Amino acid sequence: MSGEEQDWIYMLLAAGPTGAALFYWYMYRFCRNTDKSHGFERETAIDAEEVECTDYKIGENNRTRQRSIRGENSKSFRDRVQRY
Amino acid sequence: MSSQNFDGDRGGGAGQLGPGSVRDVPPPPGEQIPLPEGLDYDKLPEAVREELEGSDPEVIDIRSGAAGSGVNRCPKCGASETKPLSSGELMCMFCRHKWTTERVEEKYGLGEGIDKLVGIVRGAGAADIEDAGDSAHIVTFKCIGCGAEVAINTENSMSARCHWCRHVLSVNEQIANGAVPDAVLPFRISKEDAIRRIRQFAGRRSFFALKAFKKEFTPENVLGVFLPYMIVDANAAAEVQGEGEIETASYTEGEGNNKTTYYDADVYAVERKVKFLVDDLPIEASSQRSNFDRKANTNNIINTILPFDTENAVAWDASYLAGYSSEKRDLNIDGMMPVLEDQLLSIARSEVLHTLREYDRGVRWDREHLDLKGSRWVAMYLPVWLYSYHQKKGRERGLLHYIAVNGRTGETMGSIPIQTWKLLLAALTLGTVLEGAAIWLIAMFGG
Repeated sequence: MSGEEQDWIYMLLAAGPTGAALFYWYMYRFCRNTDKSHGFERETAIDAEEVECTDYKIGENNRTRQRSIRGENSKSFRDRVQRY
Repeated sequence: MSSQNFDGDRGGGAGQLGPGSVRDVPPPPGEQIPLPEGLDYDKLPEAVREELEGSDPEVIDIRSGAAGSGVNRCPKCGASETKPLSSGELMCMFCRHKWTTERVEEKYGLGEGIDKLVGIVRGAGAADIEDAGDSAHIVTFKCIGCGAEVAINTENSMSARCHWCRHVLSVNEQIANGAVPDAVLPFRISKEDAIRRIRQFAGRRSFFALKAFKKEFTPENVLGVFLPYMIVDANAAAEVQGEGEIETASYTEGEGNNKTTYYDADVYAVERKVKFLVDDLPIEASSQRSNFDRKANTNNIINTILPFDTENAVAWDASYLAGYSSEKRDLNIDGMMPVLEDQLLSIARSEVLHTLREYDRGVRWDREHLDLKGSRWVAMYLPVWLYSYHQKKGRERGLLHYIAVNGRTGETMGSIPIQTWKLLLAALTLGTVLEGAAIWLIAMFGG
């Protein structure tokens, strides 16, 4: 049996526990709504001026096995970083 | 029992001020407050100097014109018994005359001039709360009908009926205990409508709901509550700094089980600056409601039904609270400022997102800065239909679950207690079925 076929078998065997966990997690959130809050970023009237952008190359990150930048947080608006 | 008296005579009684007395009138903005001998302005720490030199917040005096005497009268017949309607009007219970109070947005220009805001501008109802002990919430009126003394406990009510002449007396003027806001947004959604929405919301989630919850479910017990909020306009600028990556190549090396994909990327220093104006951002003004510890409470449910059409709010008139309960504000602007700054930074991060599309490997923000040039704070009561259920958990305090309906838009959100064993059983059953199907597939095609 080739390596790829073995990968598929492992993935199929994981379907049971994964499906059970996903179902529990989905129904828990559906009933309890612990993840919900006011989406003030999009539900508030905001009048923003044009964004001022400054970008310059500072280096390269070659032969990395990560699919995205380490610590990606551009869409995690509510995660605070260091204030200056 | 000490109490605040609103019988019309405020008594000035200035008397002669001693050297350490509080001044009746604060110095005009810019004037230095005289320091005791031996203290030098220049030698004070910078933070203390800024505090002393800073001007007091600009105050907008929002008043409905309701009588300071405590009796709100029908403009047609003068009766004091009124009722709020779902249309936002008030109706006289004697002559059925209907009228509305002016919207504060137009009257006080609250939607305008946000770009010119500097420093803190606040409504009179957003003033700091004076902590004067447990009796601070008792307000005593002298009834103008018969002269009797009538006490109102502002912890849970803003009006009371004179027990002698039956006049309805209301708290109309600002008092320093946080009970009187600048404006109120009347209910538009009726109780029957709210019950229907709560029933529908819970019905869709009833299969995994706690058995006791289903048994005791009585949405007819829903309560109309006015909850305290600060409605904030802000003039701000923000900067964010970080790193972004753009993929330049990707390649797979190795064979069979040892295949590995590698990525090459250019790394950029990324900086974004944005100036923005925010109109009518609602922030919880109650310390209890602003606690979003999701293990201990379900306050996030009430937060989720925001926003409200706050532009339709009217100047404070206690008549709008008739038949509803209310919660007092117990947070001051200083205490809420970190929440505002946090939300403004989140808004800034959201506003710059569209400029990051070329960074296909993403952006990591490392530093952020907020320059809050000005903010305007208006204290407001917002209408919420609230159904609650207390889930007991052994000897612990348990958890209070809410189903909340926005009293204006009808948006409904809730937390339904779960029958854990039932949900676990359903998840395990589903997992077993999936696993059985997987094993069958492997046996059929994998062998």
